[in-house]
Amino acid sequence: MKFGLIAEVLDEQLVDSTGRQAGRVDGIVLDLRDGKPPRLGYIEVSPITLLSRFNRRFARWYAFYDRKLGEGRGVATRIPWTRLQRKGPTFVMDIDAESTPIFALEDWLRRHIVERIPGG
Amino acid sequence: MKKIFEVALGIVTSVGGFLEIGSITTAAQAGASFGFQLGWSIALGTLCIGFLVEMSGRFSAVSKHTIPDAMRERFGANFFAVPLIVMLAVSLLVLAAEIGGGAVALEMATGISFPVWALPVALLAWALLWATTFSFIENGVSLLGLVTLAFAVGAFKLHPDYGALVKGFVPTLPHDNKAHYWFIAVSVLGASISPYLYYFYSSGAIEEKWDESYISINRAIAAIGMGFGGFLSIAVLVLAALVFHPRGISVDHYQQLPELLTGVFHRPGFWLVIASLAVACLGATLEIALSLAYLIAQGFGWNWGEDLAPRDDARFALTYTILILAAALFTLFGMDPLKLTEISMSLTAASLPLGTFPFLILMNDREYLGEHTNGRVGNAVVLVISALSALLAVVSIPLELVGGG
Repeated sequence: MKFGLIAEVLDEQLVDSTGRQAGRVDGIVLDLRDGKPPRLGYIEVSPITLLSRFNRRFARWYAFYDRKLGEGRGVATRIPWTRLQRKGPTFVMDIDAESTPIFALEDWLRRHIVERIPGG
Repeated sequence: MKKIFEVALGIVTSVGGFLEIGSITTAAQAGASFGFQLGWSIALGTLCIGFLVEMSGRFSAVSKHTIPDAMRERFGANFFAVPLIVMLAVSLLVLAAEIGGGAVALEMATGISFPVWALPVALLAWALLWATTFSFIENGVSLLGLVTLAFAVGAFKLHPDYGALVKGFVPTLPHDNKAHYWFIAVSVLGASISPYLYYFYSSGAIEEKWDESYISINRAIAAIGMGFGGFLSIAVLVLAALVFHPRGISVDHYQQLPELLTGVFHRPGFWLVIASLAVACLGATLEIALSLAYLIAQGFGWNWGEDLAPRDDARFALTYTILILAAALFTLFGMDPLKLTEISMSLTAASLPLGTFPFLILMNDREYLGEHTNGRVGNAVVLVISALSALLAVVSIPLELVGGG
């Protein structure tokens, strides 16, 4: 199957194995190999990658604060290309996003703010 | 039978949700300053929003995408950032104007000055979003919005000269006060063609799981709902043209608005205007806050949905919370809601093409819409009216500022 990387992969919606919307394809990472054609390695899902498409300083600034959210934070989340399948307009990954840092900010906001407000 | 009910409900909610602070104020200013002469601007604005709403419903029903979702997917993050930032900035001002309008309604009802009401109005709107579902908001609040039908009843009772009213639908140049005439025309267009309205509608179609079988229902709701909504704006213009214009009074304060109906309904007229203003502004506050949260959540691919509990879409829920609080600050610090309305409506008009042009490209994309892409008439109407609104806005806003507002 052939994909146009920019037209059909970048910025597409990502859904996890439980059906939750898990962000968008913010970046694409190629493996450059000696003497062989480059290979599609990972997609990145992270505000850090997204911001670096506009301005690297914004991305560094975000990463600095993101690092404070816990271990493994402050770098873009990478999903191996082999774990993704195209289904209609979205990419479905065979991973529960809860097991990745994709929902770290969402979880932090839920635990620290939303659940403390009545009705949340 | 179920679909007939859905059409009826859709129309009722469109009518109930059409009038808000911008359309009431700008129509009243147009009628007070220029009689029936600016009727055409309401007609043009209504035509354009009718087409846009129909398109956004059709787009979501067929493609299963919302507009922001498809915009980022098709044009990429760097392009999407432009309409996102502009729409956020302009709609935040509109949101502030709606909260201000609600606060002013409460000031007129209680005599307590409007900045005091900023936080209670914001809190009520936020609590409704936090604790209820999409259907409750769309149906419940918009049904209450039917109180705005009082404007139509009032206008009929004053027996306007229908011949003169019809003449107002043909654009003519004013004899004097030209800069103000065009500025009001632009504000009316900005108030009618609210981008949040069709973004909200597109997300609603997804929330309510529309598919291709809804295309004709969608068309009926858009045409009849928006048509009746525009008719209510015309009713406000007629009332202002008959109540204020002959006496040479222009609408410079919200406190003048109850006069629109007190001549016809006496004391109950006062309360009908207050109720209309309060309900219309509350409804619009909910729709704009949700619409902006949808815009951000869909653009970034977050989990979103007004039917989810806040804990299941924490970022989405906190986004509308922050937006409502930020918008309430304008009123809290005493910024005149009427000035805020004028500024936000004219800026809406100025920025229209940034949203409508990329949307038109999507509406002509067979990958999203298959055989349901736009016809030539729809393309032409939206293209011409939004370009014209922006052009008029760019010319008239500086003239109005130079002229002293």
